[in-house]
Amino acid sequence: MNLSLMSLEISVVVLGIVVLLADLWMPAERKRMLGYAAAAALGLLFVNTFVGQCSCNSDGTTAGGMFIQDAFSGFFKRFFLLAAALVLVLAVEFSDRIAAGVSEYYSLIIFALAGMLFAASANDFTMLFVSIELITITFYVLTIFTRGKVTSLEAGVKYLILGALSSAFMIYGIALVWGTTGKFNFNELAAVSSQFAENKLFLFGVLFILVGLGFKIAAFPFQMWTPDVYQGAPTPTAAFLAVGSKAAGFVLLLRFLFVAIPSVTAHWDKLLIIVSAITILYGNLCAIPQRNLKRLLGYSSIAHAGYLLLGVAALTGAGQAAVLYYLGGYLFTTLAAFAVIAIAMRHLDSEDIGGLAGLHQRSPLLAATLTIAMVSLAGIPPLAGFFGKFLLLKAVIEQGATNHGYYCLAFTALVGVVISLYYYFGVVRAIYFSKETPDAPPITMSLPAKLVIVICLAGMFYLGLFPSKMLNLASEATFALGLIAR
Amino acid sequence: MKLEALPWLILFLPLLAAGIITLFTLRNKAVSAALSIGAIVTGFVLTLIFIKVNGFAGSETALNWLSIGNLNVDFGLKLDALSLMMLLIVTGVGSAIHIYSYGYMHEDPAFSRFFACLSLFTFSMLGIVLSNSFLQMFIFWELVGVSSYLLIGFWFEKASAADACKKAFLTNRIGDFGFMLGILMIFTVAGSLNFSSIKDQLVANPTLLGGTATLAGLLIFCGGMGKSAQFPLHVWLPDAMEGPTPVSALIHAATMVAAGVYMLCRVFFIFTPDALTAISWIGGFTALLAALIAVQQNDIKRILAYSTLSQLGYMVMGVGLAAPEAGMFHLTTHAFFKALLFLGAGSLIHAMHHEQDIWKMGALRKKMPVTYWTFMVGTLALAGVWPLSGFFSKDAILAAAHHHSLPLFILAVGVAGLTTFYMFRLVFVTFFGEAKSHDVDHAHESPGVMVWPLRILAVLSIIAGVIGIEGLFSEALKPGGEHPHGVLAQLIYPFQHAPVAACSGLAAFAVGLFAAWKLYANAKSDPLPAKLGGLSRAMANRFYFDELYEATVIRLHDLISTISDWIDRWIVEGFCLGLVRGGTDLTGRALRLAQTGNLQTYAFLFVLGVAVLLWFVLGK
Repeated sequence: MNLSLMSLEISVVVLGIVVLLADLWMPAERKRMLGYAAAAALGLLFVNTFVGQCSCNSDGTTAGGMFIQDAFSGFFKRFFLLAAALVLVLAVEFSDRIAAGVSEYYSLIIFALAGMLFAASANDFTMLFVSIELITITFYVLTIFTRGKVTSLEAGVKYLILGALSSAFMIYGIALVWGTTGKFNFNELAAVSSQFAENKLFLFGVLFILVGLGFKIAAFPFQMWTPDVYQGAPTPTAAFLAVGSKAAGFVLLLRFLFVAIPSVTAHWDKLLIIVSAITILYGNLCAIPQRNLKRLLGYSSIAHAGYLLLGVAALTGAGQAAVLYYLGGYLFTTLAAFAVIAIAMRHLDSEDIGGLAGLHQRSPLLAATLTIAMVSLAGIPPLAGFFGKFLLLKAVIEQGATNHGYYCLAFTALVGVVISLYYYFGVVRAIYFSKETPDAPPITMSLPAKLVIVICLAGMFYLGLFPSKMLNLASEATFALGLIAR
Repeated sequence: MKLEALPWLILFLPLLAAGIITLFTLRNKAVSAALSIGAIVTGFVLTLIFIKVNGFAGSETALNWLSIGNLNVDFGLKLDALSLMMLLIVTGVGSAIHIYSYGYMHEDPAFSRFFACLSLFTFSMLGIVLSNSFLQMFIFWELVGVSSYLLIGFWFEKASAADACKKAFLTNRIGDFGFMLGILMIFTVAGSLNFSSIKDQLVANPTLLGGTATLAGLLIFCGGMGKSAQFPLHVWLPDAMEGPTPVSALIHAATMVAAGVYMLCRVFFIFTPDALTAISWIGGFTALLAALIAVQQNDIKRILAYSTLSQLGYMVMGVGLAAPEAGMFHLTTHAFFKALLFLGAGSLIHAMHHEQDIWKMGALRKKMPVTYWTFMVGTLALAGVWPLSGFFSKDAILAAAHHHSLPLFILAVGVAGLTTFYMFRLVFVTFFGEAKSHDVDHAHESPGVMVWPLRILAVLSIIAGVIGIEGLFSEALKPGGEHPHGVLAQLIYPFQHAPVAACSGLAAFAVGLFAAWKLYANAKSDPLPAKLGGLSRAMANRFYFDELYEATVIRLHDLISTISDWIDRWIVEGFCLGLVRGGTDLTGRALRLAQTGNLQTYAFLFVLGVAVLLWFVLGK
């Protein structure tokens, strides 16, 4: 077994254990530093992927073909590292609301990150299932971490039960696929999957696996948990759930659909179009009456799962590259929004939109950041969200000649965007145009938190204004995977 | 061509000044004025240098600006005798007016904003002058519209000024709409918007525009009709006198209103004989109408405004009579003496503490000698007295009228008589006779920064007829024609070339002067209303054009807008949008009901979703 290919994963796991152990000797008042140190370590690992020797830049398989390392997984590993580093800083900002076990909170985030890194490299069903469970189970704990709050408990229980349900479907599906084909490895499965394209038992299994993945990305009809969990979970958890967990779902989904069963996927354009369209409409429509900011972002995250599915439904390399690009923009945008929530609403019991009143006086930077994040989520130039949506729609419309359903899908996505403008700008309105602006004191924030905000802002503008570099990375990633479909 | 960068510099310096003033120096009056005046004076000097080096030879420079499909649009500068001469007028007269404004506007709190607007206007006007294509000209045309809107409405806290700038802008937009249609029409046929390339095509194939040629020409003329305030779009110009007086001098005498005439000359090759006839009659009619109205106005600036209208009518008539060089010649001399008259009027108004009624002035001859003498020069030039500049340019138009159309010639001579009459009415009432109000006793001569521009413009008004301007325009617009050289030859040329026109012009002056002297030499109030009765009232009320438009166009417009408003409010907004918005909102709220928060429901819906998925893929 070639452990050097896994050196990144190993160092992340070691980091998690070190944080856990350091807790034993660290005096309580220094624990803040522990979080920053962990975030800095992840930041270093992230930078190292670009400038230094990193296992994620090499190509190859190990662990008997279970673990694959290529440009595609490399792209996602960078994504997860950056997301986790930023979330850790948020977690430190949030730590005063965690009653006990702050260091465990940090290390659980790191373990979830390890799960995501493995997911990015999963090349057979064992790795897929184990990595998903590693992510999901750590998230159960992360969700329930503010035990004193009933909503947090409720969210954790719901996530646990529904997650277990989806895992059950998934493991059943894996068993069926293995039972019919006898293959566990994706590449081996790909070689025989065309023979089974008409085999109902096999398709049954595949669909069950997709149920499990659909649950992770919060696609219709498996999205029910999202708003409740986002609302109840501690803010850093929700942020990581929105960014990391969703992206982990997509990396597995893309590899499963286009590496393991390409000949089956090629016939599923209709299914994917319908799921994508309904997800977009459901997320956007339900977000309209929301007053709780985190719940609203939960629905918005459903809608964004729908947008991302556009790129999957296109069944082309361009579509997949668009998915990757969009996730990049989504990372900065979503984390910016959650960072503002974590910092600006820490004195409030609930994250009601009304709590934003007067934010532009208390902290112009936070107000501007949240505004720009909302504008980017809505997909308005020159921000990252615009260019990502543009690429997704372009990929879908290019396929319009093969199936006119794609035009309907593009139209639905546009309708969704229009609806979303309404509630995103409702947030902006609450910031700047609220009638009663409380005389709250100015908001102070720590330097690292400010850094996170600035990184997110820079990311949104950079991806919106200078898309070529990121687009190259995304295209290389999909190309390396050989995903140029059909 | 040498010094190619100079015209670009001349064009963009005022924009730079406007930008800097608006962004940085609004609080600092001296710097703002220095920037704005500096930009235009530099422009004037650079123009002189450019002409000195290159002469008036024609050339064109262009940068590719945008290309959409096979439409390539250049941003270019056309430099020939026509545009260079116009450049001299705009920067030269503009410089004098800028400097004068420094004195006139000194106490205004929004002093810096004034200079920013002035510079923006200068930039737009220079853009029109230097344009080498219809598109570019149209853009600057609109910019001139905007900047004149800002300047006319400079004292926007006065309701009358706010109304006046709106009126000016909207009236101009009507003309511009026709202009744009004309441009589109020419573009569809010629496939190009560049003046030179359209001209080349028309020379190669005179029937290029076919049956629509006359219509296209008249639509283009619509643009000029708006900017140069020709009947029936003339109503905005007198109201525009609500702006500060230097603005009236700059925009409504020397530059903006001249843009229409300039444009007609620039694209003269487009007009068919039929179109030219229509243009000449509209011009002639405007000249007569405005002169008649001017006779019975009492506000000094309004008299000058109607006089401007009337002279613009003259110029347009000149172009229509296939003598664009005469039109441009008159435009040039008119720019000098009308700017002089406006600035003189400004000096009077300044001295009289913003009193504009001529019947409250009188006897100002002794109090303000420089203003008096320079105003007198301007009046004589406008009346067309030999050997002042106005005589030569007016004579050129009269000669063209005499050559082409007898009725128009008679009309033009009549207007010349009326011009002398109303101008001397103004002079006699304000400068002679007795003081008609107490303000006169306190009046005193204006400061040097205001009277020096008057002196310079007065000199130009005297000599502009005989320094070869006409020859320059003739060569540019009608190459090969004969024209006199040398001062002496030019002085006597009109009497040799077209004695009838020259003598009629002088006779009209004599008649007009005699009538004015008879009626107004020592008048305390206006004797005309008693003599003319209803006609006088009609003249004083501008022949009720405003009332007519109010009753027809505006009323109709109000009706249409009320109906549209109703449709928008109830059908589009209420029914269509309301249904969509309400429907979306309702769907959102209904879907929310599924989100019960109940775990069993969630699990049930989850499994139901799986079942539907299985049915969709496998069940069919």
